[in-house]
Amino acid sequence: MGQAFLEIDGLFKDFGGLRAVDNVSFSMNRDQILGLIGPNGAGKTTLVRLITGILRPDSGSIRFKGKNVIGLKTWDIINLGIACTFQNMRPFRRLPIIANVMVSCLCPRAMKRGEWVKRVEAKALDALEFAGISDMSLEKASTLSQGDLKRLEVARAIATEPELLILDEPFGGLSPAETDLMAKSIKRLHKGGRFGRLHSEGPAMIIIEHKLQQLMKIVDRIIVLNYGIIIADGTPEEVVNDKEVVESYLGEGGI
Amino acid sequence: MGILGVYLRKIYTLFRGEVLVLPSRIVVFLFFLVLLFLPVVTQDLYLLRILILTSIFAILAASWDLLSGYTGQMNFGHALFFGVGAYTAALLNLHAHIPPYGSIPLGGLAAVLAGLVIGIPCLRLRGTYLALTTLAFPIILMGIVFAIPGITGGELGVSGLSRLSSSRLYDYYITVVLMLGLCTIMWKITDSKTGIIFHAIREDELAVRTSGINVTRYKLLAFSLSGFFAGISGGLYAHFMRIAGPSTLEVSMSFTVVIWAVFGGIVTIYGPVGAVFILFPLLEFFRFWPEFRMLLFAVVILLILLYMPNGILPWVRDKIEKECPRCKVRNVATRKTCRVCVAPLD
Ligand SMILES: Nc1ncnc2c1ncn2[C@@H]1O[C@H](COP(=O)(O)OP(=O)(O)OP(=O)(O)O)[C@@H](O)[C@H]1O
Ligand SMILES: [Mg+2]
Repeated sequence: MGQAFLEIDGLFKDFGGLRAVDNVSFSMNRDQILGLIGPNGAGKTTLVRLITGILRPDSGSIRFKGKNVIGLKTWDIINLGIACTFQNMRPFRRLPIIANVMVSCLCPRAMKRGEWVKRVEAKALDALEFAGISDMSLEKASTLSQGDLKRLEVARAIATEPELLILDEPFGGLSPAETDLMAKSIKRLHKGGRFGRLHSEGPAMIIIEHKLQQLMKIVDRIIVLNYGIIIADGTPEEVVNDKEVVESYLGEGGI
Repeated sequence: MGILGVYLRKIYTLFRGEVLVLPSRIVVFLFFLVLLFLPVVTQDLYLLRILILTSIFAILAASWDLLSGYTGQMNFGHALFFGVGAYTAALLNLHAHIPPYGSIPLGGLAAVLAGLVIGIPCLRLRGTYLALTTLAFPIILMGIVFAIPGITGGELGVSGLSRLSSSRLYDYYITVVLMLGLCTIMWKITDSKTGIIFHAIREDELAVRTSGINVTRYKLLAFSLSGFFAGISGGLYAHFMRIAGPSTLEVSMSFTVVIWAVFGGIVTIYGPVGAVFILFPLLEFFRFWPEFRMLLFAVVILLILLYMPNGILPWVRDKIEKECPRCKVRNVATRKTCRVCVAPLD
């Protein structure tokens, strides 16, 4: 087998005296859904920010499809095929929801791919449809509820037609029913195919989530971070039974 | 008759469907009409002069809105573009004998360069820091102007330029048509996909980056476009006044542009244009009380901003029109149901 899809090696990131990411190394395949879990402040979001080039690591390497992405601008990394959502949603508040997604549709990667779709609006609408908020496409983003903002984040990310989709707490703020719906959507997206005019490659995914029960149903591998260190890496069953994980994160009750 | 009749009817239908449905569009239509046909009624030299200067500054104010309103790159040194446009046009005209129709666009291009020169160091700056840095650039250029009086004429400026045209009436039509055309172009830009990205950059730059958009390119585009339009207005000013002096670079000039835009309503393009058409003649009118001129002016602006924080034109627009809660199409405020989707308007 050739080079790994995403390969992270010896990654470090310090904030002043605080080591947020500590010697993180792992690699993942094109067809995986990876869950990234760990207590608050474990460094999960920081790791995502390193991958997407929002932050620069102190040392270590990140290779995506064999290409070193460290030092690249964030937009170049996105155009290579990585997309991410923000844990603490960052919509363009005074723009209509459809325009929020159109910005993603206007990135070079999405424009190249959708050659037969000349209408950016139509594609943006399909991304919203997928996320389940197309009926509100003309409302200003500032009017959305927390849960709908989460969906907007997802719609924006998939509009760039990524090969690796990183979701930072996609279930946050969603009700149990909405969570199930979102989980289903995520699985559907991973299978790939067409959603209206939007094309899904069936992206590999990294999902950060505290709602472990729902997460376990989707992912086929889990990495546990604690104080920036990977303390476990394996299938969901292996991880929930890992002694260290139970001690530091899950607690005696399990999930 | 037949063919002409069909076309006239078509144009009328279009006019009724697109213009007459909304008061704001009727106002814009009347604005075009009055400006274009005013000379038929009067050719008073003083009035034309005021309207020419108003048009020139309207372009300037709209170009500020494009950069600082839409893209959120707070520019407190907009006079730089105006001055660069004015001086470039003046020097090219005086030394290379390039006529106004060449020197003014070249002044615009020089201002594009100026836009890139200040845009690049400003890429990393935001908010107050950006505002303070941009404030410095016209002051620096003014220092250069005073340092090489042999070329720039120092305090006196570059004078003796060719007239914009052979008569005041032509001057009027050149500036008014350019103003209407350029402002329409600016409005079209803000209404385009590029405009959406500009707007998104103002809202959240990081989120634009993670949407895969090259933020650097779009910010520089905003600086260049804004510089171009402001440079054109500077060139027009130089040729109309037949002088390009250091007053075009003054700090007060930069601030006046900001005041116009904020007064009229930023992120609209039409707001700053309307504001200049209100404030510039108003300031002239206040000349009848020279000792209170500035005071009256300041009071008017303060009152408006106190009661209409989004600017006067959006305020008026919201009074005479309302947005359909369902399809977001604007309607005359007197309507009970939306003109497109017939949803009840609260
Ligand atoms: N920009 C920053 N400057 C300084 N410290 C930071 C910065 N960003 C994160 N940190 C710190 O790094 C540590 C890891 O933060 P991070 O946001 O990656 O955690 P997380 O695993 O995403 O937590 P959560 O589950 O709460 O989202 C935290 O202690 C946080 O305070
Ligand atoms: Mg986090």
